[in-house]
Amino acid sequence: MSRTGWTVLGLATVFLYLPIVVLAIFSFNDSDLMAFPLSGFTLKWYGELAANDAFHAGFLTSFLVAQPVGLIGMTVGLAAALALTSSNLKWRFAFLALVLLPFVVPKSVLSIAQAMIMSRIGLERGATALILAQSLVVVPFTTAMLSAVLIRLDPRLDEAARDLGATPLQSFRLVLLPQIKSALAGAFSVGVILSLADLTIAMFLAGRTQPLSLMVASEFRRELRPDLNAMQVTVLALTAVIVVLSELYRRRGRRRAARRPSAALTGQPEASS
Amino acid sequence: MTARLPALGRAHLALPVALLVGLGCLAPLAVLVIFSVFEVEDFELVPAFSGRAWAELFTTPSYWVLIGRALFYGAMTALLTGLAGYPVALALARLPAAWKGVAVVVLLTPLYTGEIVRIYAWRIVLGAEGLVNAVLEAVGLIDDPLKVLLFSPLTIGLVLLYNNLPFMVLAIWVSAEMVDRRLIEAARDLGARPISAFARVTFPLTLPGLAAGVFAVFALAAGEMLTPSLLGGTYGATAMAIIDNLFGTAFDWPLASALALALLVALFVAAVGLASLLLQTRGARAVLQRGRT
Repeated sequence: MSRTGWTVLGLATVFLYLPIVVLAIFSFNDSDLMAFPLSGFTLKWYGELAANDAFHAGFLTSFLVAQPVGLIGMTVGLAAALALTSSNLKWRFAFLALVLLPFVVPKSVLSIAQAMIMSRIGLERGATALILAQSLVVVPFTTAMLSAVLIRLDPRLDEAARDLGATPLQSFRLVLLPQIKSALAGAFSVGVILSLADLTIAMFLAGRTQPLSLMVASEFRRELRPDLNAMQVTVLALTAVIVVLSELYRRRGRRRAARRPSAALTGQPEASS
Repeated sequence: MTARLPALGRAHLALPVALLVGLGCLAPLAVLVIFSVFEVEDFELVPAFSGRAWAELFTTPSYWVLIGRALFYGAMTALLTGLAGYPVALALARLPAAWKGVAVVVLLTPLYTGEIVRIYAWRIVLGAEGLVNAVLEAVGLIDDPLKVLLFSPLTIGLVLLYNNLPFMVLAIWVSAEMVDRRLIEAARDLGARPISAFARVTFPLTLPGLAAGVFAVFALAAGEMLTPSLLGGTYGATAMAIIDNLFGTAFDWPLASALALALLVALFVAAVGLASLLLQTRGARAVLQRGRT
C-alpha cells in the first residue's frame, strides 16, 4: 500500500465524515447559533431533547416502523438471493433487473405513483403503506448482500444433506441457515437503518403516522436549531451502534465457521484475497 | 412410496419475489401510463381518454428545461463521482485484506445518515458562518463570507457528489478487485510506467464497474428532489418538485403522471446509453467475454 493510496483514503474519509463531525460539534456547543467560533461545551441541548415528548413519540414510531421493514426486507431478499444463486433459474437477467428496479426508479416517482393508486382504490395511507413501500426499496440492498454470501457457499453441502434424506426444509434449516445467520443479521440491520434514514417515502405515504424524519424535516424548513443537532447525533450514534454490533456478530460468525471442520469443506473464510 | 415429489427448487422462490416487486413497483408505474391519458373534472380523475396532459407536456418548454436539468444533474454527478471515486476504489482494492472489512463499514456508514441529516449538516458546513467560511476567514483568504457556497449550483453539485460517492466507489472497487494483479506486474516488467500501466491495463479492465456505477449514480442523482430544493436556492426547482406539486396541490394527476413518465424514460435512456457506451470499449468487452466462458 503506497503513501498516495493512504492519502487518498484519508481525504475520502475526511470528506465523508466532515458534515457528521461538524453536526456533532455543534450539538455540544453552548450557543443558539450554529456559527463559528465555538462558545463552549454544554450538554443542555441533550437535556432539552430528553424533555421533548414529541421527539420521543416520533422516535418510537420510527423504531416500530423500522423493525418490520428489516424483517420483510431480509426475508424477501433471502428468497430473491436463493433464486438468483440457484443454477436452474430461467430469465435470470430479467429477474435481476426486476429486483434492482426499486433501487433505480427515483423513490419520489415510485412513492407518488403508489400514493395515486392507493387513493384511487380507497386505501388509507399510513404505517402499513409506509412499511411495505420502505421494504420494497430495501429489497435490492438485502438481495445484493445475501447473494454475495450465498454464491460463495459450497452447493455440495446441500446436495449431501439431500442425499442423506433431508427434506428441502430440513436442509435449509440445518445446513444453509447456520452458514448465513450472520449475513441475515446484516441484512436485517440494513433494512432497519434505511428505514430510519428515509424521508422521501414517508413524505408521500406516511399519512398521519409521524416518523422522526418527517418531524425533523418540518422543523428544518424553518430554522437550524442545536437541539435538532443533538437529536441527529443521537440517531447517528444509535445507527453506529447497530452497524458495529452487526459487524461484530458477522465476524464472530465467520471465526466460528472457520473453526468448524465443515469450513475445510466450504473453504471460503475470506472474501477478499 | 419412494418416488420423490417434484421438489420445489430454489429457483421457484423467484416467483413470489417477482410478484411482490411487480405489484409494488411495476404496477404503480403501469398505472402512471393509464392516469396520464385520463381527464380531470372538478379535481376528480375521470376515466375518459384524453391526450391533454401529453399535449401540455410537449408544448410547454419549461417542462423540457426541468427534465433537461434532471439529466444534467445526473450526468454531472456521474462525472464527479467517477473522477473522485476512481482513486478511492483503486486504493481500497490495494488495502491489506484485514482492513477491507473496516473500509466497507467506513464507506457505507455515511449512507445510513438520513437524507435530511446530510442536507442539514451541509448547511452548517457551507453557511455564511459555517465551517468553510470560518476557516477561510481565519487563514485570511477572504474578508467577507462566500455566499456562493450555499444555495447555488455549486452546493447542489457538492452534495450530490457526497450522497452518491459511496455507490460509485463500491461499483468500481468490486471490479478493481477482480483485475488480475499479474497483468499490471507484467505491464510494469515490460517497462510501462505506473501511469501508462493504469491507462492501458487497470482502467480498461475496470470499465464494467464504472459503467455500473454511472448507471446507478445517474439514476439516483437525476431523481433527487430534496437536495436541490433544500440547498439549491433558485436553482432548486426540479421536475420532481413540480410533479409533487401537480399531484398534491393542483390535483392534476394526468399531467403529474405524464411528467413523471417522461422523466423516467429520459433518465433510463440516458443512463443506459452512458453505461453501454462505456461497455462498448475494448477493455470492458474483454472482461465481459471472460466472464461468459
